[in-house]
Amino acid sequence: MAVILVVEDDVFIRQVAEMMIQDWGHDILSASDGDEARVFLRSDQHIDALFTDIYLKDSVLGGCELAHQAIALRPKLRVLYTTGNFVTEKMKALFIEGTQFLRKPYTQNQLEGCVAAMLAA
Amino acid sequence: MAVSDIAASDIVETVPTALIVLDRNLNITSANRAFYQTFRTSADETEGCHIYDLGNGQWDIPALRALLESVIPHRASVEGFEVEHDFPTIGRRTMLVNARKVFRPGDHDGSILLAIEDVSEERAARVESKRYWHLIQSIVDTIRDPLVVLENDMTIVTASKAFLKIFGITEAETHGRRVAELGQHQWDVPALRHLMEKVLPENKPIESFEIEDNFPGLGRRVFNLNARKISQPGNHAHRMLLVFEDITDRKQRERDALSLTNEISHRIKNNLQIVVGLIAYEAKWTAAPCVQGYKAMQARIGAIAELYDLISQSSRGQTVAVDAYLREIAKTMSASLIGTMSGIEIEVKAEPLEIDPDRAVPFGLLVNELATNAIKNAFPQGAGHITLSVEKVGDEIELIVADDGVGMKDKDSVKVPEKRGSDYVAIFVRQLGGTIAPSVSEGTGTIVRIRLPLLLIPGGAERVAA
Repeated sequence: MAVILVVEDDVFIRQVAEMMIQDWGHDILSASDGDEARVFLRSDQHIDALFTDIYLKDSVLGGCELAHQAIALRPKLRVLYTTGNFVTEKMKALFIEGTQFLRKPYTQNQLEGCVAAMLAA
Repeated sequence: MAVSDIAASDIVETVPTALIVLDRNLNITSANRAFYQTFRTSADETEGCHIYDLGNGQWDIPALRALLESVIPHRASVEGFEVEHDFPTIGRRTMLVNARKVFRPGDHDGSILLAIEDVSEERAARVESKRYWHLIQSIVDTIRDPLVVLENDMTIVTASKAFLKIFGITEAETHGRRVAELGQHQWDVPALRHLMEKVLPENKPIESFEIEDNFPGLGRRVFNLNARKISQPGNHAHRMLLVFEDITDRKQRERDALSLTNEISHRIKNNLQIVVGLIAYEAKWTAAPCVQGYKAMQARIGAIAELYDLISQSSRGQTVAVDAYLREIAKTMSASLIGTMSGIEIEVKAEPLEIDPDRAVPFGLLVNELATNAIKNAFPQGAGHITLSVEKVGDEIELIVADDGVGMKDKDSVKVPEKRGSDYVAIFVRQLGGTIAPSVSEGTGTIVRIRLPLLLIPGGAERVAA
């Protein structure tokens, strides 16, 4: 089972996502923004994957920036993005190669499929 | 045979330039074939005749008199002397005259060789070209958009008054310079240079090339560049017209609108995610037989959300692309097919049809119900193929959802969840004003055909693709 860092600024959405992920046997680390996430990423905590919203509070592409910083700190980290916004070409260009993407609103089946694909990659 | 072996008379008769030889008294001693042809005369009419008397005095031209009587006596040769005159036989002509004194052994007086080249057409073309470019300059100065006309070598021939005013430069600062050299080299963009190099040789216009930069005195600006080849009919000289359209305000409005749309989309999708999350939370504590109903509800919310991106990009009078929408539904449903159902494939075959946004939601929910029914019922082994297709048949749309699964069984119709799904199908078909054909089993699969009226408000609307 894996340790997944969940970054989502909406508390309810984050907690439901964490509930689903924990139901599949994974451990979660919870962050509401990039700053909280970076504390985990810079720590000695073992982390297998990052599941981040792209639009984080005041930063429209905050999740993309966070993922790049996360990979710089932990090159083997797997990444799954999510957003309710339109996925623009500019946004796609910021995605780290080989990562997964999930559009909101997502069901538990869709999240389960993406998490499985992310961890298998 | 070497050129030197050819008799001088043969050369004289062959060259296309009209040649005549005059004696010291300006009587014509001989002329070549080109002269007779050009001036429509003959050797009999010409030889021995005084130059001013030739052809009823048509060579008695003040300019020629000046050459023969004032210039030649003092110089051994004259080149490029231009004579313009109305010849009664051939009309108005411009002649380029080269004159040379020729001395033979024993002839101390010498003769005068005149080579006369008819340059009328060349001069007329030059005048026409001048007039044409003068016209272009007038147009350039009239147009409000800043623009420049470029020479073949990409240097500026002329810049419009609007161009000079906007960029705060003088005409002298632009003339003969390349666009890339202007200002602080804002136009020195490799992609633009590459495109500009193709405009003249390949006649390839530049359409809407955007450049955003800081311009002195203007601040941050976005310009749209368009270029095309301009040429005068019948003239081989080509130039390039480069127009600069300031689209800063329009771009800002587009960015504001996009930012607002993104903000609204973010909030709506997050709210829908909360609804889907609430259902997921309820499903977690619900008895297993009821879980399917909660999942079906999540899928219906997902189908509406799918449409949101397409609908929110459309405004009044615009339409949603049905084919693009079907592909989005197939993509999302395929992403949901995990675990025991991961062997099910969903294929889309759709004509490029359009639907107005008001009817897009029931249409999307209808497709979702039919595809969900196929996924739930057709493949007990968790593998198979579903085809979603839409085509125009006469003045109707035919929606077909077909699978290669186990086919229908009578007992299916009494199962509660599927019955509810069928109820939804009937409601959406009725809402759209369509009819549903009885589902049929063909081979091992099931085909559902639904006829719907064209779902497009008449009036030629723009198409919005996914």
